[in-house]
Amino acid sequence: MQTPLHLTISPGADAPIYRQIVRQVREAIAGRRLGPGDRLQSQRQLAQQLVVSPLTVKKAYDELERDGLIRTARGQGTFVAHDLPTPSRDANLDGLRPIVRQLVHEARLSGVPPKALSALLAEEQTRIAAHRGDDPTETETS
Amino acid sequence: MNVLELTGIHRTYERGEEVLSGVDLTLESGAVVGLLGKNGAGKTTLLRIAMGMIEPQAGRVRVFGMEHPRDAVAIKRRIGYVSEDQILPAYLRVADVLAMHRAIFPGWDRALERRLSERFEVRERAKIATLSKGQARQVAVLCAVCHRPELLVLDEPAGGLDPAARREFLEVAIDSLHDGGSTILFSSHYMQDVERIAGRVVLIHAGRVLIDRGLDELREELSLAVLTPTNGTTVQRLRQTAGCLAARAHAGELRAVFGVDPEVARATLQSELKVSALTVTRLGLEDLFVETVEGQAR
Repeated sequence: MQTPLHLTISPGADAPIYRQIVRQVREAIAGRRLGPGDRLQSQRQLAQQLVVSPLTVKKAYDELERDGLIRTARGQGTFVAHDLPTPSRDANLDGLRPIVRQLVHEARLSGVPPKALSALLAEEQTRIAAHRGDDPTETETS
Repeated sequence: MNVLELTGIHRTYERGEEVLSGVDLTLESGAVVGLLGKNGAGKTTLLRIAMGMIEPQAGRVRVFGMEHPRDAVAIKRRIGYVSEDQILPAYLRVADVLAMHRAIFPGWDRALERRLSERFEVRERAKIATLSKGQARQVAVLCAVCHRPELLVLDEPAGGLDPAARREFLEVAIDSLHDGGSTILFSSHYMQDVERIAGRVVLIHAGRVLIDRGLDELREELSLAVLTPTNGTTVQRLRQTAGCLAARAHAGELRAVFGVDPEVARATLQSELKVSALTVTRLGLEDLFVETVEGQAR
């Protein structure tokens, strides 16, 4: 069955369009809105939905496939991979650093003390874990 | 084989002013190239030269490996052309214009014609003279794509159209990319449209190609540095800095475009100019256009 994944892009935004597509599919998989075996729109369909060049969609799908997140079966379509790769921890940390830095700055500006920020982070982790139905301690041990 | 090859193109207006001074542009099969430049930069002249509508004073034009005017008919059968100021015969009915095109092009696709006619709600019995600007452009588009050209040359195809008509036009262009894998060369002032369909961007200015690079590459590998002018930090000094493509003074700041990643540009500026107060960011197409064009030495 095809999972209704609604992507949106905004030309002129900070990231090129193909990156916006890659990011949204990644986020959908990470947030379990897309699960292993779920079918994605065909490249043609997505290019029509977003009104972007088919080559841009192809570039995004190629990157997702290279990263092992999706598989394209000839004549059948594109699906979320069954054996999703375990992301390397270091790469993730580096990717998160700018966001965390921004967060810390924002917290300082709004006068939120470091302890309260840490508590807020923990609270959000618990909330998301509960929503996804995993064990909140899983991330500590994996 | 390349679909289009323009080499060393020179063209001077009748009054002696040079509009193109040595332009090279190559389109491989399947390329979608957005041609950018200020009004008067020579975009239309270049596209008309590619179409064989005007001749360059120097340089070589090859379309599908053939040349104007010797192979004019063979070339025209494989090209579709739409321009902003395209004039269809005002006294003809839309149906007559379509019939004319059907007769000229052996490969005319009736099914595609019907599909687009329906989509555009083309009034076949109307005289061209009674159509709105948008409707006339739709008929022009229909005439340009229904013979399934391998190369589409579009000169400001969306110029003067409302956002809905522009979007519809993009959809048609995207469909034609799906259907036949055609090659597209288009000029536009709408940077968002360029971003939606172009794979490559060519910026011409003062008769020359300033930038010819992949769109995503441009978006990810170019940066804009904004800094405060001081004794050692001037527009001239910035232009001599490695990787600098353009620099100008604007509203009390210096703004420079670098052909490298923001981090690299920042490091270069810090080590070469010893500046500390600077902001380096990526830049969108619109800023890229403005800063690059305005930041050239005159």
